[in-house]
Amino acid sequence: MKTRSLVFGLFLLAGCAREPAPGEREVPSVPASDLPGHGTLNQDGTPKEGPRLLPVEVYIQFYLDVFGGLSPLGAETLARGKDGALFDTWRDYLASLGMPDYEKDIARVGQTNAMMLASFERVGVSLCDRAIERDLRGATLDKRTVFAFEPTKAAPTEAEFAARFDVLHRTFLGYPAALAETPRTKRFFDLYNATVARHTAKGAAPSTFTPTEAGWAAVCYGLVRHPELHTY
Amino acid sequence: MRPLPWLLSLSTLAVVTSAGAAPTLTEYRHFRALSVDLLGRVPTRADLAAFEKPGFDLDKWIDVALVGKGYAERVRRTYMDLLRLDVGSTFTFRPNASVLRRQTILGPDGKQMYVYYRNGQRRAREETDGVFCLSQADIGAVFTGTGVTIGTLTKVDAKVLDANTTLVKPWWLGATPTDPSWALIPELQKEPDGTATTMVRVCKEEASTATSAPVFATGRKAPVAGTPPPYGRVTALPLDSAYAATNKGKVIACEGGSAYSNTTGCGCGPGLERCLPAAGNSVEPAAFTLPQGAMLGVDRPTSLARDGEGGWHRQWWSQEAVRTIEWIAASDRDFREILTGKGTVVNGPLVQFYKHVAGGTCCGNGVNLGYVNPVGLVDEAKLPALAPTDGTWKVVDDRGPNASGILTMPVFLTKYGTRRGRAHVLYNVFRCRQFVAENLKLEPSTEPDLTKRSGCQTCHATLEPMAAYFTRVLESDWTWLPKESFPIDQASCRADPLKMSTTCKGYYDPAFTSPTATMLRGAYASVAHADEGPAGLAKATVSSPEFGKCVVTNMASSFLGRELGVEDEAMVTRLEGTFVGSGYKMRSLVKALVHELAYLTANNLSSSALCEGEGK
Amino acid sequence: MNQRETTERRTFLKVLGGIGAAAVTGAPVLRALAEDKTTTSDEFFVLIHAQGGWDVTLWSDPRNEDKGLVDPATDKLVNTEGLRRWVDDAEVRPGEHTFKKVQPAGSKIVFGPGIGDLADLYDRITLFNGVAVNTVSHPDGTAFAATGRHLAGGRVPASSLDSLLANEFGTGQLLPAVSVRFPSAFLGQDLDRRAMPLLVDGIGSMGRSLARSNANTTVADRDAVTALLTQEAKDLAARAHDPGAMNGFALQLSALTKMLGGPVQQIFDTTKLKAAQPTFDYTGRFMGAFAPNFAFAVEAMKANLVRCVSFAMGSFDTHTSNYTDHGLKLQETFDQITELVRVLDATPHPTRTGHKLSEHTHVIVVSEFCRTPQINLTGGRDHYPNGSALVISPKFRGNTVLGSSDLEQMLPISSRTFGDGLRAATPADVIATVLGAFGIDPRKYMRDGEVIKEVLR
Repeated sequence: MKTRSLVFGLFLLAGCAREPAPGEREVPSVPASDLPGHGTLNQDGTPKEGPRLLPVEVYIQFYLDVFGGLSPLGAETLARGKDGALFDTWRDYLASLGMPDYEKDIARVGQTNAMMLASFERVGVSLCDRAIERDLRGATLDKRTVFAFEPTKAAPTEAEFAARFDVLHRTFLGYPAALAETPRTKRFFDLYNATVARHTAKGAAPSTFTPTEAGWAAVCYGLVRHPELHTY
Repeated sequence: MRPLPWLLSLSTLAVVTSAGAAPTLTEYRHFRALSVDLLGRVPTRADLAAFEKPGFDLDKWIDVALVGKGYAERVRRTYMDLLRLDVGSTFTFRPNASVLRRQTILGPDGKQMYVYYRNGQRRAREETDGVFCLSQADIGAVFTGTGVTIGTLTKVDAKVLDANTTLVKPWWLGATPTDPSWALIPELQKEPDGTATTMVRVCKEEASTATSAPVFATGRKAPVAGTPPPYGRVTALPLDSAYAATNKGKVIACEGGSAYSNTTGCGCGPGLERCLPAAGNSVEPAAFTLPQGAMLGVDRPTSLARDGEGGWHRQWWSQEAVRTIEWIAASDRDFREILTGKGTVVNGPLVQFYKHVAGGTCCGNGVNLGYVNPVGLVDEAKLPALAPTDGTWKVVDDRGPNASGILTMPVFLTKYGTRRGRAHVLYNVFRCRQFVAENLKLEPSTEPDLTKRSGCQTCHATLEPMAAYFTRVLESDWTWLPKESFPIDQASCRADPLKMSTTCKGYYDPAFTSPTATMLRGAYASVAHADEGPAGLAKATVSSPEFGKCVVTNMASSFLGRELGVEDEAMVTRLEGTFVGSGYKMRSLVKALVHELAYLTANNLSSSALCEGEGK
Repeated sequence: MNQRETTERRTFLKVLGGIGAAAVTGAPVLRALAEDKTTTSDEFFVLIHAQGGWDVTLWSDPRNEDKGLVDPATDKLVNTEGLRRWVDDAEVRPGEHTFKKVQPAGSKIVFGPGIGDLADLYDRITLFNGVAVNTVSHPDGTAFAATGRHLAGGRVPASSLDSLLANEFGTGQLLPAVSVRFPSAFLGQDLDRRAMPLLVDGIGSMGRSLARSNANTTVADRDAVTALLTQEAKDLAARAHDPGAMNGFALQLSALTKMLGGPVQQIFDTTKLKAAQPTFDYTGRFMGAFAPNFAFAVEAMKANLVRCVSFAMGSFDTHTSNYTDHGLKLQETFDQITELVRVLDATPHPTRTGHKLSEHTHVIVVSEFCRTPQINLTGGRDHYPNGSALVISPKFRGNTVLGSSDLEQMLPISSRTFGDGLRAATPADVIATVLGAFGIDPRKYMRDGEVIKEVLR
């Protein structure tokens, strides 16, 4: 039986870049433009490796799962709410999210663009805001699909925040926050505190969210829009 | 750009182990990628908890995932992205033989009521022959073909109503659809007064359940130009078809598409099973609420919309291809069956289509060449007994001798309407080749043979013989042209090409016709291919040296999220060996693919982290 | 041409089109950031793809004689009701009339009846006829028309004209190139990734993605998230073997803030576009659905947000009895283009005081091929390896036709002597000429194609 690590071993080592050891054969590299006749020609120089864009079907499936396992139309109804301020219809977003349309022969979009990121935000904000309304306003812990933790009564310490953030991080990005390659927990803690402060400040814009809810909403936005969610 | 990674040999795998240790970031990311590709979703917190347990066996997890729904959907998605087997509303399909339109009249009590009818239905009563079964004299008004009412409706006499119409319990009422993806629109479930509909009133001819009927002919002559239609009709009295004129009284089958226009005895069958309802008499009245955005599956639409019979059929045609590809993947059948397989997967609506509607496009003026009883691409006897409302999907192992994978499915034949279009897409998707003519000079020429014509032959020398395999399937249609009615050389069509009859020109190519010979359209480049049919092209394609490599290339490109390059050739060769060696089993290919270094490194986010000792 | 380089704005804020993901290598982005070769211009471009293959016999290369292979359009084959320029000519068959060719007084160009109101603008039209497209395959012809290259192994081997124009003149714009189902392609390391066309399926649907509610959280809250994510993406890029994708993400996130904060949402809102540009025909039977693209082009140029707007119209792929409406489809298309020119005539240029927008806007209309001279059995026309291209540009000589096709088979005739000899013009030559009109050496981007100087002013 091969364990997880046996399979991963190859990848773990293969990904490293290093200088060749002394005596190791080095393959000389010549830029294509230096070759006769290639100086002015365009060449496909796109990278041959790099994070792939999450298939749009998988993204929507994720959205539906964390929304509570609803159908697309069920989720649409809930996301829209009474005023439709947070969500329009799936039809409005499918093209910008990169969904192919076989009827119209529109190909799947394999690259992000600013409009796609705009849709990620639009759709993601609705997910987070509705999750706040559901999870943090009375749902029992076992029914919470996004904020599956008890918020602290007082302002959370960094450690208290980290434990709760880790739940969200695992949900959205699929691994413990502590393994992140960026100072992620600290950044999100700062984001949380800044958002709470903004909503607590005198003259703050009116909001249906409490400052704490707004803080967690911002954290959720940061994860649902995170490049690591949308790539794999 | 950082230096390219240096790679260890595959033997390194054996010595690397960290069983029992907590997963590294790289391992989490790889697990997520596998989950995305094989399960169709990102891992849940529960999935992660299982993954983090000591002794988690990823290979076993992969094996389990490879028999799941998500894997089959992944394979389907790859090939549907390439083939785009869905037909939009620009392909109109509303054969008069099956669209049961609805007219509102005033009943004997003066209240509105509905009567269903077919446009073009032959009737013995001259006033209503070919049109609605109640005349202007009966109801005070007539209707145009697009549903416009001319005149003012008056009450219909009860005896006239009973003489010309019948009450029927139709298939679409009473039985709840077992498939949640569609619904009958409310207007078809209620009478004009709002009460629930339990029976529908249908013109008598349409209500017939006969399986065969004698050809009806009146011997009527065309009216003198300018003569107004009689009986207050909008259109002139219908004339007999050439076939009807010469075969009056001959008994023909009612399933053919020309039965309604050549007999008065062929109706919609028991429970109106040969027809589909329409809530009105416009060009294409709505009947169903159907999924519109159905990329997650028709059972999970992102939007719904009202549509008519055309939309209904187009949806199920596409689903047949979707389900068949998923079935091949999920059952780990020989992947060549996507082109060569006799099997398919159908539900109630598709059974209804193949049994009762598909013949509706047959046979046009082919009847003049004796083609009256359509030969289907699917042998109806092999189809399961599913009611039109039954959403159960059932495998049909053998559709019959003319069937061949997706090539003979309506969605393929209508999406790629022309013989050349069909051949081209196969050449591209299953052999990974493209027809491209570079800067050739096209000279005026009278050479009709494109395999020889200067400039054209660059592509057409290959394309025309491939297209010839589709000679016996009508373009933009699924109607099969059997040898018996359509020999390659039709003696009765031999003529000066400028003097060919309309019927002959429809099926035989004037460019290759003379007083001594004719050529069935599309066959000129290879008569042998024409007789082999689509199955011949399927066989040739999967036997081509490019097929295995092309499947590997398509799948690897999809999983790696990029086009493959020369640096991938060793991997492709390796995977092709696995794929072909396994008997063209997609599961073996995908399993090998997700173990390839290229897949493992596809998400190359953290190479620097790895070098800094991650996981140690 | 008033092209200038500027460093007035932070480069990264100007990046919009798909910097991220697969098409990005690190080098050009980093080079752009380091050298800041941001360029702006006063010129605008509207590129239209008549999708499906148009029938040139009904507009640019009119045929009204039953000669050789040519079956001319007749009042039996074509729906003439509403086809304003259709005037019956001789009988082709008893009771079946073909049309009179259209040639306004002073026009050197002879049109077919599908030209619509555009015939009135003959003095601003440059027409390429008898263009050797050498293909009857939609994907190949489409690629050839947009890039000047045939497909290679099924792939588009070169960048499309909109990408090239955006690269030359658009990197300073918030939206260098917006492509609404135009066959855009972006390839090669020599292009600035900011020029990558923003591919959208429809103008109207995009507006919804830009809507935001402030009921729960504020603009400041969301901008703080965007700033955090931008930093996250940059940090991930710094650790990646290939930083392109994450760098692109960072740049697109930054551009998003700009999009949400400015007038961009307005120009992606169909209702507002219709109100702002009410004269386009939004209810046209065949091309009404494409009218918002014209309105978008005008509004986006007026606001100086774009450099190039490209879109597809159609479908002209009329193999069957749907051919009867082909003339009406052409007429509606050209009527919309005429209206575009009229609106541009009445619209001040956003940066050139005293200039009209039309003085600096260049309209190029192409199709993948034309349709057979013969009418097929189902009353339609199939694909044919000949083409036309239309240019309305102050850089081009108006009232000019280059090239022709032979009378009997309608194949391209050698029209002039190019560097490689006597031959017909190709789509590559058309694209090269557009580039050449602005002093760009086509060899900078293209393998083939030669500037046809005689059609330029």
